[in-house]
Amino acid sequence: MSIFIQLLLNGLIAGAIYALVAAGFSLIYSTNKFIHFAHGVVVTFAAYFLYLMFAVLGINFCLSVIFTIICAGLLGWIINEFVYKTMRKRKASSVILLIASVALLILLESLILLFFGPSVKTINFLEGGIGVNIFGAMITSLQIVIIFIAIILFFGLWLFMKKTILGKAMRAVSNNKDVAEIVGISSKQIYAWSFIVGSSIAGIAGVLISMEQNLDPVMGTNLIIKGFTGSIIGGIGSVPGAIIGAFLLGLVEVLGIWFLPSGYKDAIAFIVLFMFLIFRPQGIFGKKDFSGKII
Amino acid sequence: MLSAYIIHLLILIGIYLILCLSLQLALGYTGLLNLGHIAFYAIGAYTSALLTLSGVPFIVSFLMAGIVSALFGYLLAFSTNKLKGDYLALATLGFTFVIYAIALNWTDLTNGALGLAGIPKPDLGILQIKSNAFYLFFVSITAVFSYLIINKIVKSPFGKVLEAIRDDELAVRILGKNTFKIKNYSLAVSAFFAGIAGSLYAHYITFIDPSSFGFMQIIPILSIVIIGGIASLRGTVLATFVLVLLPEPLRFIGFPSSVVGPVRQIIYALMLLLILMYRPKGFYGKVSLE
Repeated sequence: MSIFIQLLLNGLIAGAIYALVAAGFSLIYSTNKFIHFAHGVVVTFAAYFLYLMFAVLGINFCLSVIFTIICAGLLGWIINEFVYKTMRKRKASSVILLIASVALLILLESLILLFFGPSVKTINFLEGGIGVNIFGAMITSLQIVIIFIAIILFFGLWLFMKKTILGKAMRAVSNNKDVAEIVGISSKQIYAWSFIVGSSIAGIAGVLISMEQNLDPVMGTNLIIKGFTGSIIGGIGSVPGAIIGAFLLGLVEVLGIWFLPSGYKDAIAFIVLFMFLIFRPQGIFGKKDFSGKII
Repeated sequence: MLSAYIIHLLILIGIYLILCLSLQLALGYTGLLNLGHIAFYAIGAYTSALLTLSGVPFIVSFLMAGIVSALFGYLLAFSTNKLKGDYLALATLGFTFVIYAIALNWTDLTNGALGLAGIPKPDLGILQIKSNAFYLFFVSITAVFSYLIINKIVKSPFGKVLEAIRDDELAVRILGKNTFKIKNYSLAVSAFFAGIAGSLYAHYITFIDPSSFGFMQIIPILSIVIIGGIASLRGTVLATFVLVLLPEPLRFIGFPSSVVGPVRQIIYALMLLLILMYRPKGFYGKVSLE
């Protein structure tokens, strides 16, 4: 029984991390309507930036975190401004944007690899050594912090989307870009803003991940795959759906490696992705419009 | 010494040529956005290596590499034939990760991360290919044959149907063609040649491990196909020569290999990005990628 609770907890922690990635990703998808695969490398960038600020330069931790989140948002804005905007002007299809984002992912990952080298890095800010015992399962205080921050962040994001003008404008563009333009919302600005907000969330994800795991230059690929799969499970166009989907993915993976060798963890995610793409591409909570298009 | 190096480069170009031409068939001519081409390459390499290591004659395992890959290509196309565009791209990308995970974890079969060593050089019965110069000859013949076959396919009525599917699948279906079946065949043929290329690679290097077949490896191939031009075999051939040779001067400048690897990826990714931004058709492309 205690093994089961331990697995459940591990799944919850993995799910929280995936959900942090999925939230930003699906926010960008919901307005921009293309798969921004390079979102994963923004998380890696944030983690390495924090490493550079805190562990190498020795700047105060809180200050480093704030800088990291701002810079991650800035990176998102730069990507949109200098890559995607040019392509959108040429009326590039979502497929071309997807390939470009894969190229971008590899490009930035290789740059990080070039500057920081392939060896794994650690940020020793909080030693998460002290475990807390819950029904015979161990969880570190750091992991509890991660789950709490994630939940608070999701609640804040939900409030942002429901109550603020910017959030409402994003939902309007997401729902119907042309009608939103008619009532005076500039879709171009909203695209840029969703990149800034989404990438800042990726920055927060990067900070939390860097405290929990070791850093390695290619971790972004893995993270975006999990975040993306979570979004597909929940329904790619809806941010809350993506978050729930990411938590579900975390649980499925952990329960999966109960039966299979742990090396197959990534393959499990992909088999789940495959199943959803084929049998229910709109996800659990997503809907299709009358023409079969996923909304 | 220098001529040995040139022979090595030419062999690599030959292998890449087969790989890129086969991707061109699926991506450029049929419009199937296949990001899982590396998986077929891996399947071919492992099939051929495992068969020859267990004593099967080279020529049989060489062909089996293509056939097994083609089988996987057919199955992948069959199971994803409802998907289009970005969704197909991601499903095929996922296929790469699954094959990679299997190569890494099914230790009994693939020897995991340690890889398969001591893969014999080809033995064609009457003659054995020992020297690299002779291997180059063998690779060249295979590449030329692959080019001729793929060229024949795309010029044939079947090839015209493939292009019609790329441009307007619904219209082709209205004309009474079973487009699902045609797409399955197209991906199977494409995978066959990728498998052949994988076999050539395995028997040339004589050692394979999962790291040669990671997801990043798709970037050079994709760059070649898109830069050369969508639906242009001539463009693909030209781009293969240029792009394989492009990062080579880095070695002569004297960078260590820990720098050359990432810089090579950066060059390819940057070129792919720029071509997508400013000329998405590629240099000799006839149509735009949809």
